[in-house]
Amino acid sequence: MLNLAQTAPIVGAAFIASSVEVVEAFTIVLAVSVVRGVRPAAIGAAAALAVLACVVAAFGPLLASVPVHGLQLAVGILLLVFGLGWLRKAVLRAGGVLALHDEDQAFAKETQALRGHAGARETAANWLAGTVAFKAVLLEGTEVVFIVLAVGARPGLLVPAAVGAAAACVLVLALGLAVRRPLAKIPENSLKFLVGGMLTGFGTFWCCEGLGAPWPGGDWAILGLVALYLAAGLALSVTLRRTARRMA
Amino acid sequence: MEVLRALAATIAKMFATDLWLTATALAAVGLCAAGLRGHFIAPAVLPFVLAGGVLIALTVGVIRGARR
Repeated sequence: MLNLAQTAPIVGAAFIASSVEVVEAFTIVLAVSVVRGVRPAAIGAAAALAVLACVVAAFGPLLASVPVHGLQLAVGILLLVFGLGWLRKAVLRAGGVLALHDEDQAFAKETQALRGHAGARETAANWLAGTVAFKAVLLEGTEVVFIVLAVGARPGLLVPAAVGAAAACVLVLALGLAVRRPLAKIPENSLKFLVGGMLTGFGTFWCCEGLGAPWPGGDWAILGLVALYLAAGLALSVTLRRTARRMA
Repeated sequence: MEVLRALAATIAKMFATDLWLTATALAAVGLCAAGLRGHFIAPAVLPFVLAGGVLIALTVGVIRGARR
C-alpha cells in the first residue's frame, strides 16, 4: 500500500522535472505555429507523441521482469548522473559562470530559421515546420520518459510518476495557450536547480537501496538528501559569485 | 535520419555532458558497492559515505566548470 510520504515526492519530482522539458518543447512548437500555422505544428507534435507512446508501450512491460534491486541500482545511477549534470549546470548558471538559458531567444531562433524557409514551396515549408515540431516533442518527450521511468522505478510508483509528468504537460500547455507566448516567465534555472537537487537525492537514495543498504528514516531520507544537495549547490553558487566579484 | 541523429545526440547529451562528473558518480557508486561486498563499509554507514562521495563529485564538477 502506497502512502503519501512515498507518492508525494515522486509526483512532485516528475512534475517539476517534466515541466522543464515541456516548456522547451512547447516553445519550439509555438514558434512553428506562429510562422506556419497551427496545423503543421499540431500534426508534428501529435506524431511525436504517438511515436513516444508506442515506444513506452513496447518497452515499458519489460521493466516488470527485471529484479527490483537491480532496477533500483541501475535507475539510481541513471538519476545520479542525470541529476548531478543538471545541478552542476544550474550552479554554474546561478554563479554567473554560464549564461542563463533564454526561452525568448530559443523562440526567436526557431522562428527565424523557419522564416528562412518560408520562401520555399508551401507544402515543403509545412513539412519542414511539422518536422521541427515533431523533433522538438520527440527529443524533449524522450527526456520526460526517462524521468518518469527513473523517478517511478519502484513497484507501484510508475503511475504516480506518470501522473506528475502528465500534470506538468497539461499545466504548461494550458498556461502556454492562455498567454500565447514562450513561457519565458518561468524561472528555468531555478527549476533546473530544484530538479537537479531532487534527482540527485532520489539517485543517491536508490543506489543505496539497490545495493541493499537501508536508509535511516526510510523514504523520509529523500527529503534530507534533496535539502543537503540544494544547500550545497546554493553554497557553491554563492561562492562562485563572491569569487567573481573579488576577481573583478 | 536527421531526427534519429538528433535523438541519439540528445540521449548522449543527457549522460555525457561532463564525462568527468559521470565517471566520478559511477566511481562513487562502484567503490561503495565494492566496500559493501568486501565488508570495508558497514551497511548502516554506506548511505553517508555515498552522499559524501556525491557531494565531492558535485563540488569538483563545479570547480572544473568554473575554471573552463
